[in-house]
Amino acid sequence: MADAEFGKADRSQYPHRRPDGSLDIDLTSGKYLKLWQGPNHPGITGNMSVELTVCGDEVVEGKTHVGYLHRGFEKLMERRTFIQCFPIVCRICVPEPDFNEYCYAAAVEELAGLEIPEKAKWIRALILEMGRINSYLMYLGGQAGAFGQGVIGQWTTYARDLMLDRFEELTGARIYHMFILPGGVRDDLPEGFDERMEQTLQEVERTLDDVYDTMFRNAVFKKRAVGLGYVDPALVDEYGITGPVARGAGVARDVRKDQPYLVYDQLDFEPVTGRESDVYARADVRRRDLLMSVDLIRQILSKMPHKGEVMATLPNVLHWKIPRGETYIRGECSRGEYGYYLVTDGSGYPRRVNVRGPSYTHAMALLEKLIVNVNISDVAGLMVSLHTYPPEIER
Amino acid sequence: MPEGRGYQRLKSRTSLEEILEVATEFERTARDFYTELAPKVSKQIRYLVEELAEEEQRHYDLFSQLRMRADIVEQIKQSVETPASDRRFSDCIHLPELGDHPDDQAVLQYALGREHAAMEQYQSLAESTPGGPIRDLFAFLADEETQHKNELEKRYYEVVHSGGV
Amino acid sequence: MSVRDLLSPFIAWKHLFREPVSIRDPFNREASERYRGFHQNDVEKCIGCGTCEAICQNGAIDMVIVEGVEGIKTRPGDSGLRPRIDYGRCCWCALCVDVCMTSSLTMSNAYKWVENDPDKFRYIPGVDKKEWDNVKQGYHRPDGHRLNAPERIEMPELEPAERIDSFVEIVGGYSVEQARLEADRCVTCGICVATCPTHMPIPEYISAVRDGDYERGLKLLYDSNPFSQICGKVCTRRCETTCAASHEGDPIAIRWLKRHITEQVPYEKYRDIIGGPLPATGKKIAIIGAGPAGMTAAFDLARKGHEVSVYEARSHAGGMTRYGIPEYRLPFETIQREIDLIVSMGVEMHYDTRVGTDIQMQQLQQDNDAVLLAIGLWLGRGTRIPGADHPHVYKAIDLLRRIRDGEQLEAPKSMVVIGGGNVAMDIARSVARLQKQQQGEINVTLTALEDKAHFLADPVEIKESIEEEINIIDSRGPQECVSDDQGKLVGLRSWKVLSIFDDQHRFAPTYDESDEQLHPGEWIVEAIGQMSDVSLLGDALTEKLEWDRGRLQVDDDGHTSEPWLWAAGDCVKGPDIVSAVATGHSVATSIEAMFEQKEAQNA
Repeated sequence: MADAEFGKADRSQYPHRRPDGSLDIDLTSGKYLKLWQGPNHPGITGNMSVELTVCGDEVVEGKTHVGYLHRGFEKLMERRTFIQCFPIVCRICVPEPDFNEYCYAAAVEELAGLEIPEKAKWIRALILEMGRINSYLMYLGGQAGAFGQGVIGQWTTYARDLMLDRFEELTGARIYHMFILPGGVRDDLPEGFDERMEQTLQEVERTLDDVYDTMFRNAVFKKRAVGLGYVDPALVDEYGITGPVARGAGVARDVRKDQPYLVYDQLDFEPVTGRESDVYARADVRRRDLLMSVDLIRQILSKMPHKGEVMATLPNVLHWKIPRGETYIRGECSRGEYGYYLVTDGSGYPRRVNVRGPSYTHAMALLEKLIVNVNISDVAGLMVSLHTYPPEIER
Repeated sequence: MPEGRGYQRLKSRTSLEEILEVATEFERTARDFYTELAPKVSKQIRYLVEELAEEEQRHYDLFSQLRMRADIVEQIKQSVETPASDRRFSDCIHLPELGDHPDDQAVLQYALGREHAAMEQYQSLAESTPGGPIRDLFAFLADEETQHKNELEKRYYEVVHSGGV
Repeated sequence: MSVRDLLSPFIAWKHLFREPVSIRDPFNREASERYRGFHQNDVEKCIGCGTCEAICQNGAIDMVIVEGVEGIKTRPGDSGLRPRIDYGRCCWCALCVDVCMTSSLTMSNAYKWVENDPDKFRYIPGVDKKEWDNVKQGYHRPDGHRLNAPERIEMPELEPAERIDSFVEIVGGYSVEQARLEADRCVTCGICVATCPTHMPIPEYISAVRDGDYERGLKLLYDSNPFSQICGKVCTRRCETTCAASHEGDPIAIRWLKRHITEQVPYEKYRDIIGGPLPATGKKIAIIGAGPAGMTAAFDLARKGHEVSVYEARSHAGGMTRYGIPEYRLPFETIQREIDLIVSMGVEMHYDTRVGTDIQMQQLQQDNDAVLLAIGLWLGRGTRIPGADHPHVYKAIDLLRRIRDGEQLEAPKSMVVIGGGNVAMDIARSVARLQKQQQGEINVTLTALEDKAHFLADPVEIKESIEEEINIIDSRGPQECVSDDQGKLVGLRSWKVLSIFDDQHRFAPTYDESDEQLHPGEWIVEAIGQMSDVSLLGDALTEKLEWDRGRLQVDDDGHTSEPWLWAAGDCVKGPDIVSAVATGHSVATSIEAMFEQKEAQNA
């Protein structure tokens, strides 16, 4: 390709491919440069590397490398009793740990034939929505920050901290809540929780108003985000794309609606979708989804039963054996479908636990596809737009 | 048996020393009785008889020492202000004839009977004596015997009301 | 993109006029009410069961020996250990708090702790003093949040109406399903093992029930207790009084689980599972009394290959279990199975042979290398109140023996029992059954000096007696066995006992003499205590032996002051089957040690 044509031709055809499909890149030519981004990375929460091959300031190939965070949770759980797995699952996803607690607990309950009290379901849904808000607030700061806009992170961190206060008074911890355990939840809502939660929600809404004005109605952000990282809706099924990435492409995929769990069938909501399927559209889907979570929390608190148990009767957990079986439990987290596949063999230990973190598909396969022909400076913003939490890639 | 042989002997005494002398004498007799009984009973329960002899010896010592003290009146007065109450548990227990081979229960019954009799005797002496140091002394002696009886009742319960489930 | 997109971001400037939202003094921010902070432990409430250590998935908790701290002592029901927590490992999940059997372990809401020495972050809550020791806020296990089932699986039993006119066994036994559920409740702490006189491996055999491996369970039982079938039915189960689960729930039904194991293994397989005796050694031992102590020692010694002869005055072995415990609690068949098993180890039984009459002690001494005295407590104590020498005033133990011996007693129309122990309950309930069978009416009054709270009897016995229409009148001091003009016994006169013990829990009764009652009874049965009949020893040996307050003096191994004579069971330890088994074991060990010592000297 002649240099004169550069910039006019179909960029996705560049660089050329050899007949065997591999990229025609000659590193000795001096035209290309290998560049590592990571593992400490501006684009994501946690450690992950992208091995970039750049030509000028354009990425021609990006290979994702994970493994910096591997702690072997799935294997660890095979040597722990069912109750002992409960405190470690939250660590699989730091910013939004509650889905691990929920999916694990629900999987154990299903295989053990345990029915949890009604009120526990409502409290679980409340916690999951609170976690979603936190996760999105963190994302917004990261997304803006990736394009050089530091102030958004300051604001959203403040709002997130208020929500952490609510987590602290409800669950007894700020980050790793360890509150949803097989059988229900640990405790009822504390006295006066509803009012304090309402104040927090109003503060979140106020913060989002400011975020909307300064981030979403911002020429710089739009210039960088609009058109970047386009995901063809056709790729959604091909790549196993879920959550806001899919919804940003106009595919109304939301487990809360598609396969309602807990109390979502009793809540009034519609999945938030976008159209443009670029970084901006995904950010906006998440912003609106966050506001929907605010609304869902209000619905949950008003519809929740006032009285009732929050914990089922458990057998002695020290000798808890669960009959042979397997199940897959899923839920809609802020990044998409979160799932736990649990196999039991009648012993006191899980035979196999497999965690499906949505980042796995988004941040590895999809990123490798989207990163080609992106400007180096946009790589971070692109990665953030896929909302990657490396710990859930490396269970 | 409040009006027994000791009663008359004591009734006729007029000084504290004399009364204590007679009381001490009673304790000595009791001690000697148990000391002589000890080798006769089965070795299994000999400990009980020996302990009773020791207890009588303690009483004997107590009364002898009291007799020597200069502040005897003051001592007695203090003691009689807080009298022990008779538990009455063993009142219904017969005073057995201690044959050649008494068992532990019989020995205890006998001891209880003795203490009971002594207690009643001193009580009745105290009641029939006008107020003053002598009356106080009788009351004191009655109290001592009551306490001893109560202690024996505890022993009785622990020995007899045991071995059951 | 529009002009608005250029201007809108300037809204950020309004934040210049906002109050700062950050916390000015983050070091003094108090955590929330239920925050999971540093641990607290009420060391006096803690029993050192180690369940916290067992559940901790981080291995952050070690149970350690604590010495010289008030309130912590190794004793029945308390291991004397306390949890030490390593904050290098702790993840604050609070499962230890959730599972704590006594709720002694909690968490304060303190979360700041600065230290230069990293080892300091490993400490024993409640022992190593910390500033948050008395902080009220923090995580405590919420009500209703339990990680172990607090309620016992109910044992199927005959209803009072079904059982009152027969001597059929009341307790039915757990099904496999029920037993597993009950076994599941055990936290495997092992505090019971220390309490059990014969230290049965309780958590291990309960785990055999959980696994459904009953043969393993049976082996564990008989390794420590050859009276497992009997103890499975009538053990005094002190283990259950110290069970960790009893602090906030029902204790594990340890006795019933033992019974369950013995019921699940076919009897024909017992002998193979337990194993037979070793080759003969030629050593001879005589055992006097075929009760739990004597037969346990016989079992142990016969399995070692020694020649064991048991001399039993009565026609059947079993001692108090055979002649003292009513059939509705312990059927003959159970005893017979137990005895047959022990005898099958090569024990020679001499029934109807009373030592002192049919054979002399001196003879036994001459013919054997060791002699064991396991003669029990067969003499009933009497009140010796006026009228107590009436022929219709009985000792409970004598009557029970006659009933168990198959004698057809003609029950009295009415009966008064004196005593509040298990023997009193046994005779009351046995005669009530005879009354029901013979007359259709029950008229049994049970009186005791003690108030019900201080009855020595098992609370279950009291409950079942009441169900069986036994009229229990507590706090009554017996005064006289009253007869009418014709010399016919009419009842027991008693006084009301106002209080019975002083503050040192020693006997110091007070009476209300105005509250006098006559309890009608054609019979009066005394069940106040028992003692040993040591007349078989003879005067010379009695004089030679050392005694300890009326009982034979023995060392920890049951060895008397005579080198050839040991004593075991109720006659040294007081009445209790499982204690008798324990002393039987220790005597056997002691005799064995003596043999080995002699052999070493000869070699």
